[in-house]
Amino acid sequence: MSLQQLDSTRFEEIIYDNCEPCLVIFSKKECHVCKEVVPMLEGMKPQYEGKFGFYYVDVEEDKNLFQRFSLKGVPQILFFNEGEYHGKLAGKVEEEAVEEKIEEIIG
Amino acid sequence: MEAVANSYDLIIIGGGPAGLSAAIYGGRAKLKTLVINKGTIGGLADTTREIVNYPGYMQISGPDLMKDFQKHAQSFNVEFLKEEVIDVDFSQENKLVKTKKGKEFYAKAVILACGSQPRILNIPGEKTLRGSGVAYCATCDAEFFEGEDVVVIGSGDQAIEEGMYITKFARKVTVIVLHDEGILDCNKVSAERAFNNEKMEFIWNSTIEEVLGEGNVEGVKIKNLKTGSSSELTCQGVFFFVGMVPSTKFLNNSGLRMEKSGYIPTNERMETNLEGIYAVGDNRVKYLRQVVSAAGDGATAAVAAERYIEELNDFNANILQTDKKTLLLFFNALVNESLEFNTLLEGVLNDTAENYKLFKVDTATKKTLAEKYKIDKVPAVVVLDRGEEIKRLDCSMDLEKLKSQLF
Repeated sequence: MSLQQLDSTRFEEIIYDNCEPCLVIFSKKECHVCKEVVPMLEGMKPQYEGKFGFYYVDVEEDKNLFQRFSLKGVPQILFFNEGEYHGKLAGKVEEEAVEEKIEEIIG
Repeated sequence: MEAVANSYDLIIIGGGPAGLSAAIYGGRAKLKTLVINKGTIGGLADTTREIVNYPGYMQISGPDLMKDFQKHAQSFNVEFLKEEVIDVDFSQENKLVKTKKGKEFYAKAVILACGSQPRILNIPGEKTLRGSGVAYCATCDAEFFEGEDVVVIGSGDQAIEEGMYITKFARKVTVIVLHDEGILDCNKVSAERAFNNEKMEFIWNSTIEEVLGEGNVEGVKIKNLKTGSSSELTCQGVFFFVGMVPSTKFLNNSGLRMEKSGYIPTNERMETNLEGIYAVGDNRVKYLRQVVSAAGDGATAAVAAERYIEELNDFNANILQTDKKTLLLFFNALVNESLEFNTLLEGVLNDTAENYKLFKVDTATKKTLAEKYKIDKVPAVVVLDRGEEIKRLDCSMDLEKLKSQLF
């Protein structure tokens, strides 16, 4: 199931207004590691339906978002809950690492 | 017995240039072929911006060339599956391949084209600052270092060419090189370009022992290997290009012979120590790791696999499923004695009504069978009853002696 792409406005709404527990992958088209990590997240998304959100930001289309988190590189998965930033995972991460992080947040 | 839908003649693990070339040859040979690939098609070549030495293409991007390879394979009805292989069982004639999502596939032959991944140096700061200034892919990350100072570790083709690409964004790129001044591991054209690039600087005889910074990269600790002294250099980014390691860990318990480093040794037919298992491209022990040599490996392995499968099918259909006793005659056209014995044996069999089936094996081409029965000289005859070996014949050129052994 493909991930919903966020622009700055939607990002504000979901992370800070709705305070949804979720992850956001910062990615770009010309990045081969992203092309491995994004499909993995797409595969995980259904089992967390209604409990944990999975979103996507294209750093080339929304430069201000990655500047705001002073990211240095893609892919990076940022975790949020209750409008607060809960850390990130960078590079080629395994499914288990993402699962662990989600469990930490939604318990 | 496994479902037919999951059964293939040939499964290729890995979709880089080696795997795709094997797929083209396998598909063209009408083998039912499946390529299982975990990431994007094209492997390491897919991450290469520019390829200028693949014959027939003066200049092409890695992704474009790999798309052509894949299209070519698809034109021969090769199937593709995007999944990660996590386990195998190569101990049976039908090889089993398991994916992370729990799917199981069987094949008569498997070609391992798993490629390699960037080596991690495992120095302090490397892991914790990944994505916060530590990077392994210039195409992915170079633009995040606009106007900043970047350090590149390594001096191979990848390090120098990626380093030059980073200069398009960074203010300065400092390359840390193990060797004496002026010596780079990369090709001469790239070395010359790098030396002429105003934004590139070099620190010789050195390596780095730590990435410094809290939250973000702030610098690196450089060790001079000649003097043993350490110094610090301020930078905002560090790119590691310190070689590759083969992606063969999932094969650790398969019985496949591998070097300590994880590379798979093969012979010139790309055969591994296991029957019906081949290794091609960057994950095997070899001299040159380029798209052109990967493609050659793939073609060789697919042809070797095709012959192996043909032998296997032929043998299973003709020998193991017959009620008659079978004589496996091993011969070699270069050994005259083995040809003479062939004539003698055929003469004896023609003169009798006895129910023997003769199956001739040319040891020059059917090496697998020769190995299976451990034949080291010809002529040799193995007598089978319903596929089971019951005895071997003395192959002297004596008519009476031969008859007495058979009847």
